Amino acid sequence: MSVTTLLEGWSDWRHEHPINDQPHNPYKWAMSIDLDACTGCNACSVACYAENNLPVVGKEKYAHGQVMHWLRIERYWDEDGREFPDQGARFLPMMCQQCEAAPCETVCPVGATNHTPDGLNSQIYNRCIGSRYCSANCPFKVRYFNWYDYPTTDNVWPAEMNQQLNPDVTVRGKGVMEKCTFCVQRLREAESNAKSQGRVVRDGEVQTACQQVCLPGAISFGNLVDPESKVHKKWQAQQVELAKDVQAKDKEEGGSKLRGYRILEELRPYPSVMYLERVRESAI
Amino acid sequence: MKDIREDIAWAKINKDVLHSLENPRKMFWVMLFVAIAMVGVGVACEAYQYITGMGVANMDNPHVWGLYIASFIFWIGMSHSGTLLSAILHLMHADWRKPIYRFAEAMTTFSLMTAGLFVFVHLGRAWQVYYAIPYPNERGIWPNFQSPLLWDAMAIFTYLSSSILFLYVGMIPDLAICRDNMNPGWRKKLYTALALGWEGTDRQWRNFRVTYLTIACFLIPLAVSVHSIVASDFAMSQQPGWHITSFPPYFVAGALYSGCAAIITLFIILRYVFRFEEYMTLPILKKIVRLTFAISMVWTYLNMIEMASVWYGHDPVAKDTLLERMYGPYAPFWWSMIFCGSIVPLIMAFKRFQTNIPIMFVVSLLLNLGMWLERWMIVSPTFAHGYYPWTWDHDQWPSFVQWGIVFGSFGWFTLLFMGFCKLFPSVSMYEVKEMVYHRSLATKAAAGKLEAAGKGAH
Amino acid sequence: MMDSGFDRREFLKVLGWGGTTAALGGCGFTSMEDGKETVVSYVEAKDYMIPSISVYFNSTCTQCDMGCSISGRVREGRVLKLEGNPESAINRGKLCGLGQAGVQHHYNPDRVREPLLRTGSKSGETITWEKAYALIAEKLNGVSGEEIAFLTGGMSGHLKALMGNYLDSFGCKNHFVYEAIAPAVVRAANKKSYGIEMPRISIHKAKVVLSFGADFLGSWVSPVHFSQQYAQFRKGVNGQRGVLIQVESKMTLTGANADRWLAVRPGTEGILALGIINALGTATGDIAAAVKGYDKARVSKDTGVSAEQIDKIAALLKARTPSLVLAGSAAEGYAHGSQNAAAINLLNQVLGNVGKTVEAAATVPFPQMAPASGNTAALQGLNKGLAEGKYKVLFNYAANPVFTAPAAMKFKDNMAKAGFKVAFAHYLDETALQADLVLPLDSGLEDWGTHVPEYMAEGAQINIQQPLMEKIHANTRGMGDILLSLVKQRRAEDYKKYADYYAYLRDAFLKNKDAFGGKGIDDDVFWDDTLSKGIVKLAGSIGALSAKAGAAGLTLPAPAAIDAQFPLQLIPSVNHSLRDGRNTNQPWLQESPDPLTTIVWDSWVEIHPKKAAELGIAEGDIVEIASKNGSIKVQAYLFPGIHPDAISVPLGRGHEAMGRYAKGYGVNPFQILDAVFDKETGELAMHETRVKVSKTGQKVIVVKDEGPAGGRQMGKKIAPRMPTDKVDFSKEV
Repeated sequence: MSVTTLLEGWSDWRHEHPINDQPHNPYKWAMSIDLDACTGCNACSVACYAENNLPVVGKEKYAHGQVMHWLRIERYWDEDGREFPDQGARFLPMMCQQCEAAPCETVCPVGATNHTPDGLNSQIYNRCIGSRYCSANCPFKVRYFNWYDYPTTDNVWPAEMNQQLNPDVTVRGKGVMEKCTFCVQRLREAESNAKSQGRVVRDGEVQTACQQVCLPGAISFGNLVDPESKVHKKWQAQQVELAKDVQAKDKEEGGSKLRGYRILEELRPYPSVMYLERVRESAI
Repeated sequence: MKDIREDIAWAKINKDVLHSLENPRKMFWVMLFVAIAMVGVGVACEAYQYITGMGVANMDNPHVWGLYIASFIFWIGMSHSGTLLSAILHLMHADWRKPIYRFAEAMTTFSLMTAGLFVFVHLGRAWQVYYAIPYPNERGIWPNFQSPLLWDAMAIFTYLSSSILFLYVGMIPDLAICRDNMNPGWRKKLYTALALGWEGTDRQWRNFRVTYLTIACFLIPLAVSVHSIVASDFAMSQQPGWHITSFPPYFVAGALYSGCAAIITLFIILRYVFRFEEYMTLPILKKIVRLTFAISMVWTYLNMIEMASVWYGHDPVAKDTLLERMYGPYAPFWWSMIFCGSIVPLIMAFKRFQTNIPIMFVVSLLLNLGMWLERWMIVSPTFAHGYYPWTWDHDQWPSFVQWGIVFGSFGWFTLLFMGFCKLFPSVSMYEVKEMVYHRSLATKAAAGKLEAAGKGAH
Repeated sequence: MMDSGFDRREFLKVLGWGGTTAALGGCGFTSMEDGKETVVSYVEAKDYMIPSISVYFNSTCTQCDMGCSISGRVREGRVLKLEGNPESAINRGKLCGLGQAGVQHHYNPDRVREPLLRTGSKSGETITWEKAYALIAEKLNGVSGEEIAFLTGGMSGHLKALMGNYLDSFGCKNHFVYEAIAPAVVRAANKKSYGIEMPRISIHKAKVVLSFGADFLGSWVSPVHFSQQYAQFRKGVNGQRGVLIQVESKMTLTGANADRWLAVRPGTEGILALGIINALGTATGDIAAAVKGYDKARVSKDTGVSAEQIDKIAALLKARTPSLVLAGSAAEGYAHGSQNAAAINLLNQVLGNVGKTVEAAATVPFPQMAPASGNTAALQGLNKGLAEGKYKVLFNYAANPVFTAPAAMKFKDNMAKAGFKVAFAHYLDETALQADLVLPLDSGLEDWGTHVPEYMAEGAQINIQQPLMEKIHANTRGMGDILLSLVKQRRAEDYKKYADYYAYLRDAFLKNKDAFGGKGIDDDVFWDDTLSKGIVKLAGSIGALSAKAGAAGLTLPAPAAIDAQFPLQLIPSVNHSLRDGRNTNQPWLQESPDPLTTIVWDSWVEIHPKKAAELGIAEGDIVEIASKNGSIKVQAYLFPGIHPDAISVPLGRGHEAMGRYAKGYGVNPFQILDAVFDKETGELAMHETRVKVSKTGQKVIVVKDEGPAGGRQMGKKIAPRMPTDKVDFSKEV
C-alpha cells in the first residue's frame, strides 16, 4: 500500500495500444470463429454451463432477462423482405471479446476487472462490489450479473446436482459480475504445467470448453503471439491486426475479399475474437 | 410588495425565529410519522433486496441500472441549491439570499446524505462498499482511480463534508443566540456545546467572516465539479445517448435547476408553517422564481444542444437512441420531462404569477418531477437501445422495490429536514439582522441624499 | 494409466463422496469457515487418485441412441464433465450439448431411488429388491410366452443378447422395440433402394448435398458425426466449398445452414425429387418413363418451388459431382412417406452417388448384438395386443409411450388392461406412473454395457459403457444386473457362474478376445485396455450396396387437398436436444435456447407471418390448436421459415411427470396427432395431422433469448455474409 504501488499499478492497468509498446509475451490468448462452419447447435453454450458452474435461472427469471449464459448463440435473418429466409439463418456465438482496450476495465470503481499479462480481461469476483458499471459500458453486453444468490436458490443446484460443480471454478454468490474467461482455469493449469517443464504451452495443448465441444470445429483458440499457432496463422491470413481499429484490407476497392472481421471494431475496444464471415453459394 | 422592514428590532427577529424551535404542533408529529412510515417502506424494500439479491428490483442484463442511479443523480442535483445560494450568491453580495440560505444549505447537506444512501442501495454487494475507499489493506490494492464512479465517491465525500462544515460554521452565531435564549434543559446543553463559546467579539466576527468566505470559495468549484463528475459517469462511457461532451454543464444546469425549484417549495412551506412572512418575503420569492426561470431556460438550451449534437453527429445508433426516447416505450416519461422542464417554467416569466404562492408551489413540484424524470430518461433508454441490437430490451420497468426505496428516500430527506427545522434556526438570524442594518443604512443614505439633493437644488 | 494387477472393482469402491467441497467456496460463502462443509482426505488413497488431478474414464453416452463415446472427467470420486472420446470414429472427440447434459441425467434430484410398488397406493410403497424379484417371479408363474410383452427403446450389444435369452426362456416373441422418433421409413426405403438399411453417407465427399428434410446437423441419425463431415464439406473438395440445399416445409437447424432453403408444400417432396430427375434429363429406362409426367410446370405448381429454382438445382447437380441426396422428414412425415423416400433415393441412383457418397456400412459380426432399431409400428403392435387384453405381464424399459403415443391410440387406457406392469426407469415419467412396479435404474454414467452403433461411421466398432463413479443411490441397479437376476430365475444353471453383469460382460469379451483384436494378449491386460479405450474396433463385414432399385412401384399421390375444417398441417418438430422428451428434465437443455426461435422453457407454435396476419395472430397470443383428436393451447411465434399452410409445435415438452424440471412446462403435440400411418411400413406419419388454429384471447410475453430487435442487425456489421463469388478462400488456413 504505497505510492509506488499506486504509480506502478496505474501504468499497468490501461494500455491503449498494448501490442505497440508492451507486446504480450509469451501468451496472448485469442479466438477465431468461423461462422460458415458454425451450425448454431448450442453445444458450446451447454459445455460452458458445465465447465464454469453457470446457474440455470429457470423460466421466470429468464423472462426477466436475468439469464446467465456467458456464451450466447445469436440468430440473424436476412433483412431484404423476402417471403422465406431462403438463404438460411446466420448464427453468431457471442462471448466476452477480451478486449485489449476494454471499456469495462476503466470504469470499475474498485478495480475488479483488469487486463492480465496474457491478454485476458479478468474478473475478480471477491473484489467486485456489484456497481455494474462494467456491464453498462460493455458495447457487446456480454457481462452477466448475479441478480440472486444462486447457490442458495431452490432447484439451481439441489442435492446431487451440486456434485457436478467444477472445483476449479468459483461458484458465484449474489451481487457479483461474471463473464466468459476463456476458461482461465484451464489456461492457468496449462501455463503452470508448461512452466514447470521449462517451456511454453503448445498450440492445441489447452482448449476452452466451447472449442473442445464445437462439433464442426468452428472455434479456434490459441496463442496469438505464437507464430506456429493456428489462431496466429488465421489472423494473419485474414489480415486482421489486434491493435488496429480499421484494418488495411477494409480500405480496398470494393471491400475486402477476406472473411475475417471483428465486431464493433469502430468503437475501438480491440477485441481478441475474430469472426470469419458466413458464406452463401452464389450459383444457387 | 412588502419586503423586510428596515426598522424591525433585533429582539423581534430573535423571537420570531426562535419561535420556530418551540414544541411542535400536532401537524408536525403527523408529518413526522408519515415521513418515518415512508422511510420504513424504503427500509423494508432495501432489506428484501439486500437479503434476496438485486434481481427483485427487476433490473436485468443489459438493463443493469435503474431508479437508484437516477435518484442518486437527482439528489446530488438537488444539493446544488444550497451551494448556489450560500456560496455563489454570497460572493455576488446578493443580500436577498440571507433569510433563505440557511434552510437551503441544510437541504444541500441532507440531499447529499440521501444520495449517499443510493450508493449503498445500488451496489450488488453493499456490505463491501468500503472497497471504494482507499484504506490501508494487506493486499496493497487501491481503488481504481480511472473510474468515474470512484471520482463520484471522492467528490461527494468531499462535498458532503465541506457542506456540513459550511452549514455548521455559518450557524455558530445563531447557535449562540439559541444558547443565550433557551431555557435550561437538554437543548441549552446542545447549543452550548455547538456554539463553541461564541461571544460575538470583534475578533471572532472577523475570523468568522474570513473562514466563511474561504469555505464559500472552496465550495463553489466543488459544486461545479461534483455534478460534472457525476455527469462524467455517463459522458466517459461510449454508450449511445451518454457519450456527449455537453453533459457536464447540462447536469450542473439541471442540478441548479432542481435545487432552485426545491428552494421554492421549501420556502413556501416554511414561510407558512413558521409564519416567516416577515423574513421570507415575497420580493425574495420573486427573485428566486426569476432565477429559477433563468436556469430553466439555460437547461432547455442545453437540452436542445444535446439533441442537436446527436442529430448532426455521425453516430446513427445515438440518433436512434434519441428517437427511441421520443417514440419508444419511454415516450410518455420523456415528453412529461419536456413539459415539466421546459413548458411549465414559462409561467414564471409572468409577473402576475411570480408571487402567487399556490401556483408557484405546484410549479416547483412539477419542475422537480421533471428533473427526476430527466435523470431517469438519461439512464434507462440507453440500456434499452444500445449498440448491440440482440440485447435490446424494452420491457424492463422498475419493480415495487425500486419505487419503494425511491419513495423511502423522500421520506428520509423529509425526516432529516424536519428534524433540522425543529432543532436549529432555519432562518439565519444574524444575517437577517445584517440585512436589516444595511437596508436602514441605505434608507438613511437615500434620505440624506434626498436632503442633500433638496438642499443643493437651488 | 492402467498396468497389470490393477483391480477396477476395488478402485471403484474407493471412489466415493469425499470431495464435496471447495466448489462452493468463493465470495461471500463462508460455510467452509463455519464448518458446514467438510473436506475428507482419504487415509488410504490409491496412488493414482490425487486430489485436484482429474482422471478421465471412457464410456458411452446414453442420451440418445447414436452411441457417441465419451470421456468423463472424474475428480475426487465424482464425474464433473463429459467430453468426447477421440478414439471413436463416430464422434471423434466431440460431444453435442445433449451429451454434455448427461451429467444432469446422472445427478438429477428426481431420480427414482428405491423399488416402488404402486398398486393400491398412488405414491407407491418402497419395497426391497428381493421382494420385487419375488413378486415378478410370482406374476410370471404359469404365464405363457404369448402373454408376456417387453416394450423397450432401441437396444444393442450384450444387453440385447441377454434380453433375447430371457425372452427365449419363456418362448416369448413379444419384444417390441419402440422409438417415437426414428428414421424407420428411411431405413425401409434404403433397404429397398440400396439393399442395406443404414448405408454410410459421406457428406464431406460430396460437392452438393440436397436434403429433403433430413436434419443431419440437428437430430437426424448421427448429428455429431455429420456435423464434423459438414465442416469438411464446407472447406470443400479442391477448395470448392460444398453447397447445401435443404427442401422442407419447416426450417430445421440444418435448413438454417443451407445455401438455399426451399419451402415446399408439405408432402410433395417426392414430387420435387421426380421433377428434378426430369429436369436433369439423364435418366433412362423405366426411371425416365416414371418421371415423364413430372415436368417443371406441374412440379412447380404442386410443390411451390419455382421452375427457375428447379433448373438451378438440376444444373448444379450436373456440374458438381459427386453429390448426396438425403431423405429425412419428407419420408417420416406422410402416409406416402415410403414413396417419398423411394423417389428421393432414386435421385442418388440417377446422379451416380451410390458407391461414392452413399456406401456400404460395416456390420459387427455378432448378430445377437446388432442394434434392434425402434420404430412406431412396434407400438401399434403392442397397442393392439394390450387392447385385446392379451398380456398378463408387461415390461417397459427405455420407452415412454404414455407420453409419446398419440391420444388417438388410447395407449394409456390399453396399458391399464395389462395384468402386471413393470417399469425399469430412471425417473417417474408418465409411463412409470402407470406401472405397478417401478424398478430404479443406475444412470448411464453408473452402469456397465456395450453398444453397437446404429450408424457405423467407418469400420465396425463396439462401444463400451462403464461406470464413471460409484452409484449415487445405493438401491439402484444396472439394467444388465436386473436382467441377469431375472434370467437366473429361469435359467439358473446357465448363468449362475456370473456374479453380476460385469462378470458376464467380461466373460463374454474374453471368450471372443481374438475377434476383438486381443489375440495372444493376457486376459487382464486385454480387458483393462478395452475399458481404458472405451471402444473396440473390429474387422466387420461390409454389406453389399445395390444401385439398381429403379422406379418400380413408385406412385406418388397428388398434393393433398386442404380440409376446410382443419386447414393447416401440423408439423411436430424435433429439437436436437429435447427430441422425444426423454431429456426434458435436464435443466441445461430447458434453458438452452432453441437455435431458430431462441425460446426457452416453453412450447410455441411457429406460424408464417403471412398466415398469422390472415388469422390476426401476433407474437405471444395464446392460440388453440385443435385436431380431430384433441387440442393444445400454446403461445404463437411468427416464424418466416415455414410453409404458410403449415404450423409447427416442438416435441419434447408438455410433461405431466418426470420431475421438477420437466413437469408443467409446455405442451405435448404428440397427444393430438392423427393416427395416420405410412402405408408400406406402418410407421406413424408425423406430419399428416390436420389442425385448425383459433385465438383464445389470452396473451403472454414469449420467454426467449432474442430481444425486440429479433433477427435484425439494425445496420451494424454484426453477422454479415459474403457470396462465394466475392470470397477469396485461397489464403485461408
